[in-house]
Amino acid sequence: MAGRGTVQLRGDEDVILRVENLVQEFPVGRNRVVHAVSDISFDLRKGETLGIVGESGCGKSTTARALVQLPPPTSGRVVLDPGSENEIDLTRLSGNDLRNVRPRLQMIFQDPISSLNPRRRVRDIVSEGLEIWSDGDIGTEGRERVEEVLHAVGIDPAVAASHRPHQFSGGQCQRIPIARALTMNPEILICDEPVSALDVSVQAKILNLLEDMKARYDLSLVFISHDLSVVRNVSDRVVVMYLGKLCEVGGADRLYEAPAHPYTRALLASAPEPARSVGVADAVLGDDLPSPTDPPSGCRFRTRCPLAIDRCASEEPLMQQISEDHFVACHLPFT
Amino acid sequence: MTGRQAPLLSVRDLKVVFPTPIGMVHAVDGVSFDLEAGQSMGIVGESGSGKTVTAKTLMNLLPSYALVDGSVNFDGRDLRSLAAKRKAEKHLWGVEISMVFQDPMTSLNPVKKVGEQIAESVRYHLGQTRTAARRRAGDLLEQVGIPEPGRRLDEYPHQLSGGLRQRVVIAAALACEPRLLIADEPTTSLDVTVQKHILDLLDDLRAERGMSMILITHDLGVVKGRTDEVMVMYAGRTMEEAPTEEIFSQQRHPYTEALIETIPNINSASHTRLVPIPGQPPVTTSSPTGCPFADRCRYATDLCVAQCPPLTPLADDHQVACHTPVGTPAAETALAANAARGHTATGLEIHQSGVPVGAVVDGPGERV
Repeated sequence: MAGRGTVQLRGDEDVILRVENLVQEFPVGRNRVVHAVSDISFDLRKGETLGIVGESGCGKSTTARALVQLPPPTSGRVVLDPGSENEIDLTRLSGNDLRNVRPRLQMIFQDPISSLNPRRRVRDIVSEGLEIWSDGDIGTEGRERVEEVLHAVGIDPAVAASHRPHQFSGGQCQRIPIARALTMNPEILICDEPVSALDVSVQAKILNLLEDMKARYDLSLVFISHDLSVVRNVSDRVVVMYLGKLCEVGGADRLYEAPAHPYTRALLASAPEPARSVGVADAVLGDDLPSPTDPPSGCRFRTRCPLAIDRCASEEPLMQQISEDHFVACHLPFT
Repeated sequence: MTGRQAPLLSVRDLKVVFPTPIGMVHAVDGVSFDLEAGQSMGIVGESGSGKTVTAKTLMNLLPSYALVDGSVNFDGRDLRSLAAKRKAEKHLWGVEISMVFQDPMTSLNPVKKVGEQIAESVRYHLGQTRTAARRRAGDLLEQVGIPEPGRRLDEYPHQLSGGLRQRVVIAAALACEPRLLIADEPTTSLDVTVQKHILDLLDDLRAERGMSMILITHDLGVVKGRTDEVMVMYAGRTMEEAPTEEIFSQQRHPYTEALIETIPNINSASHTRLVPIPGQPPVTTSSPTGCPFADRCRYATDLCVAQCPPLTPLADDHQVACHTPVGTPAAETALAANAARGHTATGLEIHQSGVPVGAVVDGPGERV
């Protein structure tokens, strides 16, 4: 693929979020358009962690933001509870209707320091969501919820009442946005590079915390990262993105043990400690992604692909199934 | 390390102290190492372990209020006395020793063309003409693998991707043919694919030029297979120093072991529980009586609390500062005793299996 198609979507009832043919384009003047995300589809089951990996500029973060309609995508559907009677297409909502759905999806960003207001006390930051939804006074129940969540993420509620973000270390700081997201009792937590600003020893604590919170609060996670080892560790299913398209989708272990797309293989071979499923010869990528304003024809990966043939330039590969829960968009997949 | 020839760089008992409102912070607390010509060394540790302060001392970039003690010898010259004279040796730093910083965006001047930024040091240090310096800048860009170097010379940093920017920073650092290159987290802000290219590039350049290199990182994976030797720092001290392979195959210090365990492995199944290092690195406002890592160490004994272990050689080229080095009977006894009583000598609770409790669910000690 980097190609299109929807065979990777699962039809069952457990799916809590389905993204269909999502397109996000940004005009940049002189009639030019950045094709940030081009026709991608994936779904998330209840209780599952979906990892999204790819290089900077591949559209990971744009996808995450399009899920919460920040901003709404150019086209495509983002459906909550697909197939049920409560099915909601977020892209069709606006104003109050959208606002009412938003608490169900919460986000955590990369840099904990810049996503927290330095002048506010931690408790106020964490309870703000509840305040907004209760016209100011969150009541006893709300205060209990805040206490409980703070406790769950490992922050002493007494300290949170009086301390501001700068009084916490970087690792402790990343617990605050997690607590803030959890107070709203979300069903889906979208984590955009939640550990990439952290030291390795702190990273392990936050990843374990996310796993614990997922179990405790019955969450489904969308986890975005450029770190392949981290993504494998937290994910049940992994999506590999390249220049706004999907390359490969599959169960985490399956995808890492038998990567089928040349791009996935190149990524796995470039890691500081390469995955054992690929060889040195797979690490072939040049430096740079092509410009998303003028993406290559056919398969978008062909300009950096060691296997590219003429067909790759003329025809965009369709997503195809190669084994159970393993899908790849490539004319020449490794199998 | 023992050296058939005199080492290029020799650091002895380096101490750097910063006066701060909370007291005298010992950022580097007695670090010694040698680096031979053409050799590369990795310095690894968490944030605040003193890696960058060590590098800045070598580059003479410490703020004037920092109190420095110990000796730093580069090619037979005492850098600390040269630093005191400042102007006399303006052609040492940036020429013979140069440095690549972490963030290529903030280490390049955003309003100056990249060609000028590279040519600047050539003109200043080597006294070349504008035209010659520009030609040299073009050559350097080519050497670091930037396509179309002629065109890139006239571009501004914002027109380049992160990977290209870091290549420009490396080109500038190499401009005067340094004998020692210090790379401080050179790939931390970059993608894995770009990271691999930059690390490969540094390797190649080092081999080609016979340059020595110090590679500083918090990620042990980065030094694996790339440096000759690794020094693990913690709380401003050297915890372990060994050939890179040995650090991974038979690390002796519990801190090194913990650092390796805490990184998710790309080859382990998903949802493998990670083992974080409990607690946080200390801010050392006084020289500790015991081992600085004792609070977070599953092997800690009463001796560790009472007495700070000196850096001692275990084998050729392998030094460790620990009373109970991993893999020795002393460590096994200590761990068994700690597991049996449920906590270490410092009160860190540990499971029967020897895994610290705080590593699984954060204990109150972790809270602010």
